[in-house]
Amino acid sequence: MSRPMPTQNERVLKDEDFIVSKTDLRGIITYGNRVFIGISGYEESELLGAPHSILRHPDMPRTVFKLLWDAVQGGREINAYVKNLAKDGSFYWVFANITPSFDARGALSGYYSVRRKPKTEAIQAASGLYRALLEAERKAGGGQEGMKASKGLLDRTLQEKGVSYDEFVLGI
Amino acid sequence: MTNLSLGSRIHLLAGGAFILYAAFAALGFRAAGPDGWMITLMALSVVVFMLLLYTLHRVQVALARITARIQDAAAGNLEGRITRIKKGAATEATAWALNDLLDQVEAYFRETNAAFEHAQKGHTYRKAMTAGLHGAFRRSLDRVNVSVEAMAESQRLEQKERLLARVGELSAVNLVKNLKDIQDFLISQNRDMKVVANLSRETAQEADASTAGIQAIVADLNRVIDLIASTHGQITAIHEKSTEIQQIIQVITEVADKTNLLALNAAIEAAHAGDAGKGFAVVAEEVRTLSENTKDAAASIAASIGAFGQATTRMMDDAGHMKEIADTSRSAITEFAGQFQRFSESARTSLAQVSKAQDVTFASLVKVDHFVFKQNGYRVLQAGLDSPEAQASKVDHHGCRLGQWYEQGEGRQAFGQLACFGQLEAPHARVHQDIHEAMGLLAGPWATDPELQERILAAFQGAERASDQVMDALDCMVGERHQG
Repeated sequence: MSRPMPTQNERVLKDEDFIVSKTDLRGIITYGNRVFIGISGYEESELLGAPHSILRHPDMPRTVFKLLWDAVQGGREINAYVKNLAKDGSFYWVFANITPSFDARGALSGYYSVRRKPKTEAIQAASGLYRALLEAERKAGGGQEGMKASKGLLDRTLQEKGVSYDEFVLGI
Repeated sequence: MTNLSLGSRIHLLAGGAFILYAAFAALGFRAAGPDGWMITLMALSVVVFMLLLYTLHRVQVALARITARIQDAAAGNLEGRITRIKKGAATEATAWALNDLLDQVEAYFRETNAAFEHAQKGHTYRKAMTAGLHGAFRRSLDRVNVSVEAMAESQRLEQKERLLARVGELSAVNLVKNLKDIQDFLISQNRDMKVVANLSRETAQEADASTAGIQAIVADLNRVIDLIASTHGQITAIHEKSTEIQQIIQVITEVADKTNLLALNAAIEAAHAGDAGKGFAVVAEEVRTLSENTKDAAASIAASIGAFGQATTRMMDDAGHMKEIADTSRSAITEFAGQFQRFSESARTSLAQVSKAQDVTFASLVKVDHFVFKQNGYRVLQAGLDSPEAQASKVDHHGCRLGQWYEQGEGRQAFGQLACFGQLEAPHARVHQDIHEAMGLLAGPWATDPELQERILAAFQGAERASDQVMDALDCMVGERHQG
């Protein structure tokens, strides 16, 4: 599936809705609710079996996704502001909460994500930070070096504010 | 029929309808003979029936999926969802409605878990997120957030309390230890004070007894000094007499000299008279010899008196020295007697001071005993009813050091007649009763019963108030005994 061309068209989640999706351990979508289907613009059949990364917007720094994966693979929940890409190139901002799922034996079985409508000021703060992180990744030439650079910048930013990532993300 | 499942019933009804239709068609064939239209209609009917059965089967399959998810959810597994839902299918709305319900329930549980998990770690910034949840789910999460906040608050308090309790425990343990050190010190001090007081008492008694002896000695010495003075006077008088005797001897010597001269003149005159004067010359000679003898005798008396005079002069000198020494001794003895008097007085004063200090020491010891007793009571809260502290708290107001002291010990002898003594027993008994009451209450489920906690606190407060009165009574007794 070819990637949609991003446009400046924004879609907005309703206050009373949330997007729910589930993936397996590799990030392959196994479920999406109707809000997800509606806002992403894909059919249910297109989403099921596709990697969650089809929604990844090029404005998102890679280090954020690394952060998400590290947390949930470690069995911890994670929260993040994410700019997503719809099928028609539109974007929509979400405040994502991702939690690991466990089977009856207690082993990691997949991931569950609830995405809510973020506050406007949080979107501003997050997009500012992400621009800086993306810039750092680009300057370092992308790849592992880029990730290292943007992770360093994120850590420094948090250190200056004197908060943990969780505190920061839940506080804005 | 009513025992059959919906699917079986639909199959049975469809089958029955098909058989009835087939019978109706067969009867038509027999009456009118085979007809092309009828055969076509017959074939179409069969197809429609097959489609109906297939659709019914699809609905049944979808219902089975829905039922399975509901059963999973009822068993507590909220993970499953219905996917690949056909658009426009009869069960589409039902399936999505079930998914929405499961999304709500699963999000509700995950949020609740996350909020409590973080609250336990003290992360109050992670509240349950209510956005997107509906109705009762949302209201319940709002309440979860209120209790999580309360939980976090009580956890903060508990952590604070825990530190306070640990520090308090540390301080209490060391307080009792330190008080016991002071107790030991005061016990040994009190013992030493008793020895010192006894020594002071003996010294004061001996000083009093010695004062009479010293006064007798001083009187004797004064008499000796007086005798020396009177001896000196007598010797002076004798010395003066010997001077008078020397003057008299001088007169006698002069008389003898003149008599000798007169006898010489008489002898000359007798020679002039010749024989008539012979006898007179003999007399004159005799007179002269007599005067010579007198002169010799006077000279030897003068020599004796001279020697006597020298002796009395020496005696007088000696007596003068003796008098000087005696005078010096008299002032030294007077001073010594005064000093001894002062020594005796200061022995009495130090006896009073020492016995006051002894009483103050004992009062302090008794006070420390009570601090220890109360502290042991407090320590039982931490250490429990089987602890040595609880054992130590069992002593009553007759058995403790203070009780023994004022009921049968020296306390009653030394202080019994004082007004303040009477103020001691009632509050002292209260201290022990209140601590015993607190111990009794501590046997109950006080950790979880606020009313019981209030009563325990009240008992400890009662013990503290009574203890203050005991301290006042002790100070009053010591003050009363040693006033002035």
